[in-house]
Amino acid sequence: MVAEDFKDFKLKPMKCELNYLSKSDGSAILAQGETVVLASVNGPLDIKITSQSMEKATLEVLFSAKGGKPNVSDRFKESVIRQTCETAILGCLYPRTGITVTIQELEDFGGLLTCAVNCTCLALLNSGLSMKHVVAAVGCALDDSGNLVLEPTYDQIQSAAATMHFVFDSRAKTLVTGFTTGIFSEGAYDEALERCRAASDLVFDFYREVVATYCKVIG
Amino acid sequence: MPFDYRRFNGPEDSVSYKRFSEDFLRTYDELYKDLLDENGKRKDGRALNEARSLCTSISRTNIVSQAKGSAYVELNKTKVICSVFDPREITGHQNEYSWFGQIYCEVKFAPFSCPRKRRQLVPDSDEKALSADLKKALETVVRRDKFPNFQMDIFVYILEHDGGCLSAAINAAGLALADAVVPMYDIVSASSVAIINDQIIIDPTEAEEHLALMYTDKEKNHGLVTMCFMHHLKQFTDFRQIGSVDAECVLKVMDILEKECDKLMLVIKKIMVSNVVRQHNEHKVLLEEAKFREEVLQSKVEEWRKLLNAG
Amino acid sequence: MSDVYKVIHPNKYFNDYISLNVRPDGRKFDEQRSIKLNANAISNADASALIKCGNTTVVCGITLELATPKAEEPDHGFLVTNVELLPLCSSKFKPGPPSDYAQVISNTVNDIIKNSKCIDLKDLCIVSDKLAWVLYCDMVCLDNDGSIIDACITTLITSLKSLSLPAVSFDVETEEVKVDISNKTLLKVTGLPVATSFAIYQSPESNIVLTDPTTFEEEMCGGIGANLIVCWNQGLLCGVQKYGGGNIPTESQKNLLQVAKKRSKLVEEVIETCLS
Repeated sequence: MVAEDFKDFKLKPMKCELNYLSKSDGSAILAQGETVVLASVNGPLDIKITSQSMEKATLEVLFSAKGGKPNVSDRFKESVIRQTCETAILGCLYPRTGITVTIQELEDFGGLLTCAVNCTCLALLNSGLSMKHVVAAVGCALDDSGNLVLEPTYDQIQSAAATMHFVFDSRAKTLVTGFTTGIFSEGAYDEALERCRAASDLVFDFYREVVATYCKVIG
Repeated sequence: MPFDYRRFNGPEDSVSYKRFSEDFLRTYDELYKDLLDENGKRKDGRALNEARSLCTSISRTNIVSQAKGSAYVELNKTKVICSVFDPREITGHQNEYSWFGQIYCEVKFAPFSCPRKRRQLVPDSDEKALSADLKKALETVVRRDKFPNFQMDIFVYILEHDGGCLSAAINAAGLALADAVVPMYDIVSASSVAIINDQIIIDPTEAEEHLALMYTDKEKNHGLVTMCFMHHLKQFTDFRQIGSVDAECVLKVMDILEKECDKLMLVIKKIMVSNVVRQHNEHKVLLEEAKFREEVLQSKVEEWRKLLNAG
Repeated sequence: MSDVYKVIHPNKYFNDYISLNVRPDGRKFDEQRSIKLNANAISNADASALIKCGNTTVVCGITLELATPKAEEPDHGFLVTNVELLPLCSSKFKPGPPSDYAQVISNTVNDIIKNSKCIDLKDLCIVSDKLAWVLYCDMVCLDNDGSIIDACITTLITSLKSLSLPAVSFDVETEEVKVDISNKTLLKVTGLPVATSFAIYQSPESNIVLTDPTTFEEEMCGGIGANLIVCWNQGLLCGVQKYGGGNIPTESQKNLLQVAKKRSKLVEEVIETCLS
């Protein structure tokens, strides 16, 4: 399979605003299609001694759902985002400090977690923390007849046999995080991985665009 | 049931299916008739004054790899696991410096441990009472003056409940503390009896305990007694009684329990000795391996030295 | 001596082993720990299983209850799975409500079971909109030494496979429920998901993948828990989760899936021998 074959994909339209919140060190609001997420980053800050690490910054992620009531799957989302960001941030530059990422879900029409990862990444860029690389999350769904749909809509997710989400880094395009639901074959997994890898370029281009726009405003 | 947002919750109004089965609604008299068979034997074939002994082949120490000391105790169906961790410093500025070490005990039932109903995952009053009792039983045994301002955590988990939970928990904790080489005044052992209708039943099962607490006739003795005993010092560390028992009966029960505890002591000692022997053997093997490695290293060093000298 | 070395310089200690192509417990990189499985160890539970993978010990017990189905899904029963990480099993867990980590483990196990569709919730319904079974599956970790999700999934499936439901008669008019304990039928379980954990160690030369990691190995590979979990369900994948840690070397990616597949066959055999 050649990566060029996949270039004609379209992702959901993305809209983003940086510095959305005035009080936090970095913030971003990102809309991917109809899914909207707001993220804010604060840090590096002083934290209590028990949670300090001698070697790197302690990352804390708080996810609040639209409904407001916390539940077990929110903790899972927090853990996914935290582990993804830990690989991206150069934490060893900020030992014995804490970095807090707060994410607020605004609208969920499918692909909430991918949108949250992308939004967090933009907020981290905005905050000016040193990073090894940026990350891009792309999701896809496998429908009953075995066709892959990139960035599925809400209805497509409901009827899908499986959904797969991948997060890639910007340097070597290697897999940073991946999570799946449903049952699928090994071949489908490999295909989805390659397609999403190719599609992640579009997300990185979008990041570049956003940052370029804001550079002009500031400069 | 309050909604617990840290766990997955089932429907609000679920009830155990056992409530709808025929056995559930039996009266006291029916159950009492079933207690003993025609030969005066209990359901599991024991005589009234026969205890389930801690089986040495099953009860053992050092089973939780991450803990400092641990023990597993099995009394037929009752299964209890206990682990003890290293003492840790008591922090926080509100706390005054305590000259004696603190003991923190937690007893928990597995949700599937009880035969009548599912236990909730949040701690209930039973568990808290058992934790407090265990703490009282152990506080007088451990030499707390040896670790001032430190706290020691003892966790007990009851996998299956078939009577004698407290005594099994104390026995397990005693073994685990010994396994963790915590300084103690003496070895502890605990035993329990149920009194139903003036009859004294040693080491009761869950069904027998249930029956002892169901009894309502005020004239006759009924209840549960658990006692924890230090063998060499001949001292009680804990005595717990539920139900109504007259003074004469209490004295009788205490004598019986003392004898039972003495019997248990022999088993506990055996387990401890075998534990020490095993550790000693393991240490010997490790030492031999270390010796072997050193020899290999020495020969290598010799080789290098020769090479160096040669040129 | 090596114990002291491990405490004062864990990174170097671990790297010394890895550079000699061996793991601290003497295994090869892709070698798994031996599995011991025991079904129905706890007679008070309706079904139970105990597993020991190396030192990791997990007990699963199922309690059956009856309830009215949800109004939105009148012909569905309930499957409630929870993982308890007791303070007893490791000094890292404190008493009290489940920590974030415990919730993540619980969520992952629940996801895998739901994704594999091994239990049809419609089988658990007795009378539509009136009465349905609730399966409370509690997995309790007694000794945590890594790869806990693998152990949880295996015990859960073993206990589900050995679970039988008593016959229930329901009178529609009086709403009276009668349960006949002597007449039991086995629960239908289709599929058999098996999870395999991997940890990815970032050594200076290249990234190394460790199968079935211990707690110490998981720690050395960055963070708590395994980095990669591959779940096979009889020839099909039902979950590939990767969380942070190092990157998977491209040449070993295919290989990993095969290792997990092989292990799933092995575990299937173990479960079958245990239940027969």
